Amino acid sequence: MARKLLPLLLFSIAGCSQGSGPEADLQYIKQARSIGAEWALINEQASRGSLTPTYVAAMHRWLRDNLQTTSASLTQPESRYGQEIQALVAQPDDAAPGQLRAHVEQLKQIEDSLESA
Amino acid sequence: MTPDGPIKLVSELLDLPLLDSNGRFCGIVDDVELDGEPGKSLKLKALLVGPGAYSGRLPGWSMRLVKWIAGDRITRIPMAEIRTIGSAAYLKQTAADLGLDKSESAARRWIPKRGAL
Amino acid sequence: MNPLELTLGIMTAVGGFVDISELVFAAKAGSTFGYALIWVFAFSTVGIIVFSEMSGRVAAVAKQPVFNLMRHRLGLKLGLVTLAASMIANLITCAAEIGGVALVLNYLSGAPYLLMAVAMTAVFILSIWVLPFKWIERTYGLLGLFMIVFAAALVAIHPPWGKIAGGLIPQVPPGLSRKELLNFAYFAVAIISAVMFPYEVYFYSSGGIEEEWSLKDIMTNRVTAVLGMGLGSLLAIAILSNSAQQFGPANVDPAIPGTAALEAAIPFGKWGLILALLGMLFAIAGAAIETCMANAYSIAQFFGWAWGRHKKPWEAPRFTITWIVLLLLGLGIVLTGVDVMTLVEFAILFSILVLPLTYLPLLLLSGDRKYMGEQVNGPVTRILGWAYFAVITVAALAALPLYLLTSGGNG
Repeated sequence: MARKLLPLLLFSIAGCSQGSGPEADLQYIKQARSIGAEWALINEQASRGSLTPTYVAAMHRWLRDNLQTTSASLTQPESRYGQEIQALVAQPDDAAPGQLRAHVEQLKQIEDSLESA
Repeated sequence: MTPDGPIKLVSELLDLPLLDSNGRFCGIVDDVELDGEPGKSLKLKALLVGPGAYSGRLPGWSMRLVKWIAGDRITRIPMAEIRTIGSAAYLKQTAADLGLDKSESAARRWIPKRGAL
Repeated sequence: MNPLELTLGIMTAVGGFVDISELVFAAKAGSTFGYALIWVFAFSTVGIIVFSEMSGRVAAVAKQPVFNLMRHRLGLKLGLVTLAASMIANLITCAAEIGGVALVLNYLSGAPYLLMAVAMTAVFILSIWVLPFKWIERTYGLLGLFMIVFAAALVAIHPPWGKIAGGLIPQVPPGLSRKELLNFAYFAVAIISAVMFPYEVYFYSSGGIEEEWSLKDIMTNRVTAVLGMGLGSLLAIAILSNSAQQFGPANVDPAIPGTAALEAAIPFGKWGLILALLGMLFAIAGAAIETCMANAYSIAQFFGWAWGRHKKPWEAPRFTITWIVLLLLGLGIVLTGVDVMTLVEFAILFSILVLPLTYLPLLLLSGDRKYMGEQVNGPVTRILGWAYFAVITVAALAALPLYLLTSGGNG
């Protein structure tokens, strides 16, 4: 039984070790895209007065932390998507939702093209 | 089932909870002590309670771990101290009288007797 | 059946249904796969109802909690393995809940996250010390009813009710790539794990003993399990549906728990946000206490110690020291700085691996006439019980490969 299970387990682990490059960075591109979209949604709702300043400040902090971690995890930070993520990181906390969504849209296109490849 | 009645399997006794004469949980039947010879009927002499009683039931390496964590004490409950056996083993005396209260008493010294509703 | 007691019991179960794992996975499931995973929530809810009812019945009839009887049934070796595995799963889950509560307090007050984790652990210790069992359960459970704002938010955004109803039909969305299929499977396994967490059954069964259930409470047990958990799962489905409607089209896959509160803020503004955060706070806090106490119950029952909050803390000293140490261990894990979402993922993973070991003894005990007499499992419960056991065993075997292949559901 163990003889059959072990290769399966190793195959599974090998299957998930994807080395470097766009394939390996796909999960980080998705995370950055989502964080950018959340950020835009929060700023949009904040501008409508739907959120408390404390919540907005806290969410900005957590999203920025996550974005910086995502950016630092990229295997190809100089790539087009890496630069797009850096541009997102460089945005001020109260960036216009439209501005943030422009970066989100770029990342979404890269994400979709990598997934269909 | 009474202590001097026939017991089909030792497994009926093993891992039964122990309740003292006040109806308080005071341990689990960790092993049993039998008296007899090959070819003759076995007589139940005592119930054994405590981490030391695991030694016949766990592999050697795990007993070293048990001994390190919980020690190796055994408390022996003679069959004469057992009132009846059902879904638990019901004792004739209190846990303190039978020496089953030592850990609980030691722990009680750390608990302040105030504040609870 | 006392109608007031029954109503309070049901409402407590509703308010206590959602914890940090269900919150996170419901929101992510909705944004990623729309309404297609609603059926998994419904399916898992039936499972937890079946096993909760079983565990409550065992408590009422055998008047012994599951872990006492489990050790007698499985023996010392397998019993110790089950205890160790469930301890680890419950401890990680407790840490995730403590972290979740600290996060919500950070969103509400701006106070530092780690400081809030320490403060809330102190509040939990105080709550369990001071309050009798019923008050512990009722306080957090009833305050968790603020979560109803998520259901109200769903009504307010006029979702496509036909599509939501369609989500109840077992399905796999068409046209998914291989990667997306694996992701879907991972989410299905994660939802099963989150809804059927082992601590729920241990806490429910031990709670039945705490409240001195007997044969006359069999119907109360049944109604509480069915209605309480059934209605509670509607809150989780509301969170999923809100996410499908509001987050999916906006390209949001909620990265942090606080995003879920936007679901109530979008239709209701600031008050919706505050009510959502309060609901999350008390629901997750209740889950932190439940996981801690479930672990303490298991340990005390396994070794035959006096246990329970129906006793004063000094009347069950080893049990008291155990739950305090467990809360502090959970806090210790949070203070290492590990991300709450990572803790949630590990809680899900460890729990699904332990689930078969948790539910098998319960299934055997509740089906054993020697313990249960006339209250033994009926044919429907028996069939459902074994069917769910088969499903959770398959889910347990698939969990680790799926986690590795999908990078924890991140594709």
